[in-house]
This record gives sequence, C-alpha cells and structure tokens, in this order.
Amino acid sequence: VDHRFQINLRGVIDLLSHHLYSSPGVYVRELLQNATDAIRARQLLEPGHQGSVKVELIEKQDGGPPTLLFSDDGVGLTEEELHRFLATIGESSKREVLAERRNDFIGQFGIGLLSCFMVCDELLVVTRSVKGDGRTVEWRGRQDGTYSVRASEHPLERPGTQVFLVARQDAAEFFTAERVRQLARHYGGLLPFPIHLTAGGRTERINAEGAPWRRKYESASERRRALLDYGREVFGTDFIDSIPLKSSAGDVEGVAFVLPFSPHYNAKQKHRVYLKNMLLSESAENLLPDWAFFVKCVVNANELRPTASRESFYENETLAKARASLGQGLRRYLMDLAREDPRALQRLISLHGLSVKALALDDDDFYRLVIGWLSFETTMGMMTLADYRRTHGTVRYVSTLDDFRQVARVAAAQGLCVVNAAYTYDTDLLEKLPRVFADAQVEPFSASELPQSFEELNLDEREVVFRLLKVAEAALEPLRCDVTVKKFRPKEVPTLYSSPPEGAFRRDAERAREDSDELYASVLDSVLAAAPGSDRPLLTFNYQNPVVKKLAAVADRELMKLSVEMLYVQALLLGHRPLNAQEMKLLNQGLLGLIAGRLEGEDTGGQGGVH
Amino acid sequence: LTAQDWREQVKELMSRASRMKEGEAKVMALEEAARLADTHGDLDVAFEVRDALIDAGTFGGFPDKALVAFAWCRGQAKKNPDRFDSSMLLWKQKWVVARLDDFPHVTLKQIREALDDLEQTYAKADAGKRSVLKLRYQTARDMGAQAEAEQYWAQWVEAPRDHLTDCRACDQDDEIDYFIERGEHARAVEKARPILDGRLRCAEIPHLTYGSVLYPLLKLEQLEEARNCHLHGYPMVARNRDFLATVGEHIEFLALTDNLARGLTLFEKHLGWALNHASYRDRFTFHAAASLLLSRLVAEGRETVSLRLPKAFPLHQRQGTYETQVLHGWLEGQAKEIAGRFDARNGTDRFQKLLQRTHGLVNDVRPFPIDVEER
Repeated sequence: VDHRFQINLRGVIDLLSHHLYSSPGVYVRELLQNATDAIRARQLLEPGHQGSVKVELIEKQDGGPPTLLFSDDGVGLTEEELHRFLATIGESSKREVLAERRNDFIGQFGIGLLSCFMVCDELLVVTRSVKGDGRTVEWRGRQDGTYSVRASEHPLERPGTQVFLVARQDAAEFFTAERVRQLARHYGGLLPFPIHLTAGGRTERINAEGAPWRRKYESASERRRALLDYGREVFGTDFIDSIPLKSSAGDVEGVAFVLPFSPHYNAKQKHRVYLKNMLLSESAENLLPDWAFFVKCVVNANELRPTASRESFYENETLAKARASLGQGLRRYLMDLAREDPRALQRLISLHGLSVKALALDDDDFYRLVIGWLSFETTMGMMTLADYRRTHGTVRYVSTLDDFRQVARVAAAQGLCVVNAAYTYDTDLLEKLPRVFADAQVEPFSASELPQSFEELNLDEREVVFRLLKVAEAALEPLRCDVTVKKFRPKEVPTLYSSPPEGAFRRDAERAREDSDELYASVLDSVLAAAPGSDRPLLTFNYQNPVVKKLAAVADRELMKLSVEMLYVQALLLGHRPLNAQEMKLLNQGLLGLIAGRLEGEDTGGQGGVH
Repeated sequence: LTAQDWREQVKELMSRASRMKEGEAKVMALEEAARLADTHGDLDVAFEVRDALIDAGTFGGFPDKALVAFAWCRGQAKKNPDRFDSSMLLWKQKWVVARLDDFPHVTLKQIREALDDLEQTYAKADAGKRSVLKLRYQTARDMGAQAEAEQYWAQWVEAPRDHLTDCRACDQDDEIDYFIERGEHARAVEKARPILDGRLRCAEIPHLTYGSVLYPLLKLEQLEEARNCHLHGYPMVARNRDFLATVGEHIEFLALTDNLARGLTLFEKHLGWALNHASYRDRFTFHAAASLLLSRLVAEGRETVSLRLPKAFPLHQRQGTYETQVLHGWLEGQAKEIAGRFDARNGTDRFQKLLQRTHGLVNDVRPFPIDVEER
C-alpha cells in the first residue's frame, strides 16, 4: 500500500540540513549511529552478541549514480516500529523536538534516516526484528513525501537492518569509496565492533581495534609512541607528550596531548570528543578547567549529555565533576614531572608557564612543588625563583612596568635584584610565597624607594653641592618635583627621576586634562583632586657623574637653572615619561637658551656653556 | 633593556595586550604603550592605543583609567575631527558616562552635563534615545532620585533599539535590576530566565546575572537553583576585578546561607581589589556584604578568625589572626564612610537605606549547605 507522509518532508529536510548538520557528509554518522543503537539494543537482549557493520558501494555498470548498502546485525525493527518512526518524523518539525527525539531509539532512527535525503532521493530500508514472528519488512521512502511498507520479497536470513541509498546526481561526491571510508573512520573510528567496507571487489576493515588508549601495548615507550602517532593523525601536530585522562563522573576516558608551542593567553583549546564512541564534536571547549589550555585532548564520554547542537556537552553538575577530575589527572602529571623529571618540567614551563602559574595560584600543594622552577624577569636578567632566593634572600618585586623601567636603569648597578611582577599572575604568585613557605620574605618595591639605597655625600661634598641644590629646588618647584643629590652607579647616569606608583597615572590624567574639552577637563579635575599620590616625585642628581660635578661648580646662576631644567626633562624622557605642556615649553626654551649661550660664548672667546 | 625601536615596542605591547585576559596586566601594558607613543609625539598611535585602553579599563576594573583615556581621545577627536576614526568612541562614551556616578568626587553638575552631552552627541550621530534613557534611569536610580528613575525607566523600556544601544543580553540583564530594586523577586527571576537558560549571552552576561539573581532566588526559596548560580557564576567573576560588586553579591549569599567558611575564602581573596578599586560604588557593595559576613561570625560567637589578607590592608597582621569584632567594625566603617560621601553628593539617603537593608538581612538567613566535591 502506498502512503503519503502527513508532513512537509521538504521542510524537515531543509531544517536538518541548514540547522542541525554542518555538511551532507553527516549522513554516514547518522547511519552509524542507528547501527550502533541497534547493536546495543540487541546486546541487551543477547549479552555476548558482538555486532558488526558492513558498508558496500555498488557501482552501476552504465556509469549511473552508485548505490550504497549499509547493513548491521542489530536488533532490527518490527512493522509496528516502522510506523512509529514515521509518526515521529511527523512531530519533528521543530529543532528542539528533533533534539529531544534523539534520546529515544526509534526517534533517533527516524531522524537519522531523514538525513540521508540530503544525498539521495530514494531510500530502501529492509529490516528483520529479533522480536516478533521473524518476518522481513521493507520500507521505501521518496523525497517527494510518498512511501510504502510491505513484506519483503527477499527475506533476511538473520535479524538486522539494511539501508540502500541511491546517490543523487549532485551528491555523487559523497559516494566514492574514498569519501565513504574517510567519513566512516572519522565518525566511527572508536566504535568497539568491526566496520567493513566493500568497494571495487575489495573488502577491508576500516576501524582499528577500539580507542588507542584502551589498547594493550608491549611497553611504556611503545604506548607513548602509539599515542603520539594518534595525536598527530587527529590534530596534525607533533605533540611533546600525552597524558591519560579518566573520570568516573560522566564515565569519561581519553588522552590529553601537550602542545609543542605556547598557545594564546586566553586561547580555548578545541577538543575532539566522542559520545558513546561516536564522534560528537571536534571543537568541544568546556571539557577541561580554565587553566589547562596547554593541552588538546581526545576523549570518549558515556554519561555526559550533549547539547542540542551536538557540538559540546551540556553544562551541568556531572560535567563540572568530570572537568574537575580530568583537571586532577593533568595536575597529577605535572606533580609527577616536578618530582621525577624537573628538566622536563622546566621545558614544559618555558612553553606553558601561564597554565602552570594559573594552577599554582589556586593549588597550594602544586605551588609548593613548582614555584621554585618558575622563571621571572629581574633587573639582573631572567632567573628561576629558586635561584633568586638562593642568592638574594628577600624577594623584592615591582608590580608595574613603569616601576620596573624606572628601577631597571640603576638597580642592577647597585647590586639590587628586583623582580618585574607586572606580568599576568606574577604579583599574586609572589605574594603567595610567605603564605606557603613560612620562612620566605617578600617585599613590594617601589622606584621611589631606590634613592634611599644610594650613598650619601660626605660633609665637604655637601657644601660643594649646596648651591646646586638650592637652585634646582627653586627651578623644579613649579613642576612640583623634589630634589636631592647622592652618589650612585652607573656614573654615566646624571639624574634619576622616581615617583610613587600612582605618580604615572597622575601625570597621564594631567596630560589628558590639558588635551580634553571643558566638560571632561572639569571631570578629570575632580578625579585628580581625590586621587591618591600626594607624594611628589623626586629628582636625584648623581654626584658620581662628571656633568653633575661640573654643574655644581658653575658660577652663572641662570645657566645652572637652565641646565637643571634640561636634566629634568632628559630624566623624564629617558624614563618614557611623556612631557606635559609646561615641560615641553621648558624643553624648547632650554634648547634655545643653551644654543644662545653657546653662541655668545663663541663671541666672547669661549667662556661658559655646558658640554 | 635594549633600545629597540619604540614603534616595535608599542606593537609588541599592543599584541601582548590583545592576547591577555581582562585585568590589571593588560591595562598596564596599554598604559605603557600610550606613554611611549606620547613620548614620541605620535598622535595616531597614541589614539589607537588609548582606544584599546578604554576597553581594557572598562572591562578590567579600572574605570578611572578608562575615563582618562576617553577624555584624552575625545579632546583629540574634537581638535582634529577628520584625523581620527571616532565612530567607536561614540559607543564607548556610554561606558564612561555610566560609571561617572561611581566616583563620589565627581559632582552632580558634571554628571548631568555628561548625560546631556551624551544625548546631544548621539542625536548628531542619528541614534535614538534608548541608550541615553537607560543611562539616565540607572544614574537616577543609583543616586536615589526615585521619581526621576521611574519616569526614565518607563521611557527606556519603550524606546526602540538603534545602532548605539547595548546588546540584547545587556539590556535584558539591566531590566532585572529594576525588579530586584522593587523587591519583585519572581519577576526578576522570570526576566533572568533567558539568560540563565543560556539563550542570551555576551562578554559580561551571564557573569553579572548569576550574582544578581542570588538574593531573589533565596527569597523565593529556590535554594537549589541559587546554589547552582553561585557555583557556576563565581568562577566566571573570580579573576576580574571589574566584577568586584558581583563578588560582593556572592559573599552576601554565602553569609545568608550560612556558608561562612566559603564566604571568608572569597573575602580574603578579593579584599585587595576593594582596597584600591576606583569605583566606590563597587567598594560599597563589597564592604557592605563583607560586614554582613563578619557580623554572622560575631553572632556565631567566633571571636577570632585566621585570614590571609593583603599587606595593603590597614589592619594587616603578619600572623593572620583577626578579631571578628574589629574586622566587622572596620568594614562597617568603610561602608558607612562611602555611603556618607555618596549621599552628601547626591542629596538623597539611598546609601543610608542600602546600609539599613544590609542590617536587616539577618532576618533572611536560611542555612543551606553548599558542598560539592571540587575534585
């Protein structure tokens, strides 16, 4: 008897191909899913049933479109069930309903079959159920919406299901032996029963013996090699190591691969995930804790719920637990590395320092183990924290780049080693040190403290520089900058400008106020009035420096003032401090003044001037 | 430090910043780049860097730095209207104006003028009034001008969307606050539903939403869901000081459900942000919630607690033992002081009332253990 679908089949197919599936190639996945479900259902009735899938590509003699025969030895369908799946299709005109229906066997069967209409116009399903009277039924459906159900004239010898697809002309690309093999491997590579492909007179098994991490290996090194080969095959990357993953929550198992390069700071790695051994997604993101962006992984989950789009897992309590225990596996790997192979850990840190730091911040035991191995930038170059503590005892650090730059110019010459903790996590990591190690001393350092460590002048020197000090004080008062004279290395540096940490922001705000319009200038005035940073910056003259020594002896008061102003501007520029309008004026006037002084000197026979 | 070409340095800093998560390190890298560009007088680079700095400051918890960068860009764009592409500045002006009332030292007149200015600027850009109306509603509400807030609310929700209005997720989230404010908890949760179900999201949603619905859910006795919102929501906000106020909401929730140890863990982890956060509004929320937490400990008869508080904390103890009474007094004092400054500026008693609300929360305590196995 011929029937007609009670629905607009075109609409459903359209919905499937545009919203649910990324490519027509997923028809292979859907057929494999149906076969898997059928085999699993039969295994429930007959424990011990192994199951197998056969795919046969039948080429037409006349060069017409080929037929694909897809057969399984699963549970099969009764006539009543066939009718039921048709009813399901009728309800499946909404995306949410489709997703919901996938959770029951018959629903999935129908939806899976519909996906075949993306590549063919006519489908023949021949099936014999394990249940019932052993009759073979066939269902022939066409894309125009008509179908027929009848007793088959070619009964099947054993229970199971065969699906015949006649390729549509414009979909022939999905019916080559190559493509079918590739698609079946892609989606069903982990399936625990054999899939055989017959094409051009040859039959081959196209999936290997289950998942690589479940196989037995002769030795640890063989296992390692096999897994790394697998990683290369899946992701096209030569990973540096593999880490086993396992979680009882969600029944997850798999392997993580350590990336051979540093990923972006906030990169979310895309993982390949299988659900009950069928490929679910190649771009699942929510599987590992945030800090674990140094690995890509392949896992199979048996008890996690996929999202409607089937691209990742639904965010629920089970997933949270699974994520925590997978993270635990990665942590264990890092812990073992720290204990057993510190050199390997160091190599890993050089690539994946940020991941390691993020974990260390949250995890005291891990922190204790790895903190010594982490490298920091210091005024004396890069060094590990362990090396730093061995040589310098108290850990001094600055938290801003600005501070570090101020300090870096002279600190090393003073024998002062200061850590640049302006990078992500570094300040937090250092501040954590005394909480984890009771004997550790950690102190924040500020550029404004630096002059305190400089050598004082002796009594005679004080007398010599006193006039310079007074002149400089008067010259820099309008710029709200204090002055002192000390001796420090390196002697090539004539002055050091240092300001408290908020100082740089204050200067930024002041310059923005100069450049902004009336409204926002007034707003910034209010902000500045309330901002901290009443401490004034300090210009320290270096009495070791020959120019400063000469300057202290200059008789011409104006020339001395001009030189002080120029040294001030130079100190700002060397410290990457942009000049405000007032300072810019000083620079311009000062340059002209010095040139004029020099020219006058030429006239009068070379007196005065600064070198 | 090598004397590498400054342009290379700026490029390196910019690309480093673009790869970073929101936060202090990112803001610092961009500030550094801006200073380099300024030192070398390159206005175009300086503009580009500051444009990025406005974003980093806004979404990384430094609204004062965003304001300064914006003020500079705006000045430049006004002086040289053809030189800079200021289309994005238009969009970012909203962010800056929205935070002005967070600074108690910014005057009422300045806030009003900034809102008027935004309205005019948007009118020139051929945008509708929806964005301005929302800001006017929120500002009026946060400053305690109730009648004005009601009036702008009514206009805002009816105004049509245009090219300068916030994304749908943000708008939806902002609507929730209105119902929370009025104590209409069921409606608040109903409004939040599309966000909680994952149908609406953006860079800061549902991060903010999970925090705001905690109290309404508690009042509705939907503690199971509240607990999930805490467990999902807190990790989203734990690493970015822009969410200081949301962290406060989580602390309040933990205090109200009698999860005091958990509450203390959050308190010690985030107090550092509150000590120097530019937004006094957010500081207030945090301190008020923390004082509730400490008052619960005092009520439980705990005289001391061990805490790892930052060195910058004025009462910092090296051994880490703190008297609960003293801590509570300090936190309460902070909240009061901030409330006083806001109310004086605003000429209303909103913050006084918010303090009273915090005091009244003892009646809402509803023990509900949150133990999940983390690992």
